Amino acid sequence: MSELEHALLALGRELAVPEAPDLAPRVLAALEPPARPARMRLAVVLVAVLVAVLLAALAIPDARSALARFFHIGAARIEVVDELPAVEPQPPELDLEPALGERVTLAEARRRAGYDLLELDEAPDRVYLGPRDSVWFLYGRPDAVRLLVAQTPKLSIDEAFIFKKLASVGTNVETVSVRGKPAYFLSGEPHEVILLDQYDLPVQETLRLARNTLLWEEDGRTLRLEGDLSRAEAVAIAESLR
Amino acid sequence: MEDRPPSDAVLAERARRGDEHAFGELVRTYEGIAFRTAYLLTGSPAEAEEATQTGFVKAWRALPRFRAGAEFRPWLLRIVANEAHNRRRSAKRREALGLRAAAEVASGDAVPSPEALALEEEQRRELLSAVNRLDDRDRDVLTCRYFLELGEEETAQVLGVRRGTVKSRTARALERLRREVEP
Repeated sequence: MSELEHALLALGRELAVPEAPDLAPRVLAALEPPARPARMRLAVVLVAVLVAVLLAALAIPDARSALARFFHIGAARIEVVDELPAVEPQPPELDLEPALGERVTLAEARRRAGYDLLELDEAPDRVYLGPRDSVWFLYGRPDAVRLLVAQTPKLSIDEAFIFKKLASVGTNVETVSVRGKPAYFLSGEPHEVILLDQYDLPVQETLRLARNTLLWEEDGRTLRLEGDLSRAEAVAIAESLR
Repeated sequence: MEDRPPSDAVLAERARRGDEHAFGELVRTYEGIAFRTAYLLTGSPAEAEEATQTGFVKAWRALPRFRAGAEFRPWLLRIVANEAHNRRRSAKRREALGLRAAAEVASGDAVPSPEALALEEEQRRELLSAVNRLDDRDRDVLTCRYFLELGEEETAQVLGVRRGTVKSRTARALERLRREVEP
């Protein structure tokens, strides 16, 4: 152990930490009868409703047509075939970047992810390492996002839950196929995504774009595409990941 | 004759079946470390208290999904740390940590550790100030490893990352800290 580590240990023992309150009575008073074990492993819960201001702040300018040009839809390859239009920066107070994680280079993400990343031919404009070893590719700028691609290991999807919960909150759920694997295209009402991790603890994925989302499992990870994409566009992009 | 207190595993299993008394035992055992964890992550006594209490209640609700044979403490601390992170994020800031008063240190530690002796007061303040300036990710891993004295595996569970990530993140955080404190 280095001198600095010894110094940190010593420092830790001298930090002013208030005495822990006696929480047991309050905790016990707040307990409800335990829930029955879930019948199935829940993995994805999409909860409706982001506040209007959040929506306004995170809304992507209408980029559908731009994306149609940008991505060579219907083929397994993505090509830049046109210049993207200028987009209006979003209010700075709701910055997407901190929510995505630590900004790194693509090379660093490949090295640190701990698994082989699935990538598009087109290199992302920005790359982030998020919580739980997730990797985020951002195309565009944080204040003017064209597309987000996320991959997170050790999370899985429960089809029954998606259909049961999402249909009831106004999110359209369509089953599609990505390279023969079941995938879910979510559109309509904006949503937040909640995943359960390997410890079955809820992981709230807030402050992403909450736009149309394609969600699927492949190669031991959950993948998500988010952007102002049609179903066909999203599937085409997904299938070009390699 | 068997009069040893029941292990965490036994208490957790009883609690899983709805035994509030058993859960109460677990709360009493871990409220200290849970509160310390929440406090060191938020820097606020009020937020830490809320995070700890809510964390325990959520742990109770999540018990049906607690895997038999798993370690209870890191599982619980993970939930509490999540709560603390959420509160820190909502508050958009984390309070700076401070040192105990000198008299308190003297009375609390009758025999100062060699590490404590090695570190002069001024150096301690500088080091703490440098830790407070680190970003959340660096500070969290150092907090778990050195202020909570958790091992790499437990830190990985509490922060929800792989053990290798704890290693690399710790090394980077130490390097950044070294650059901050060395002239």
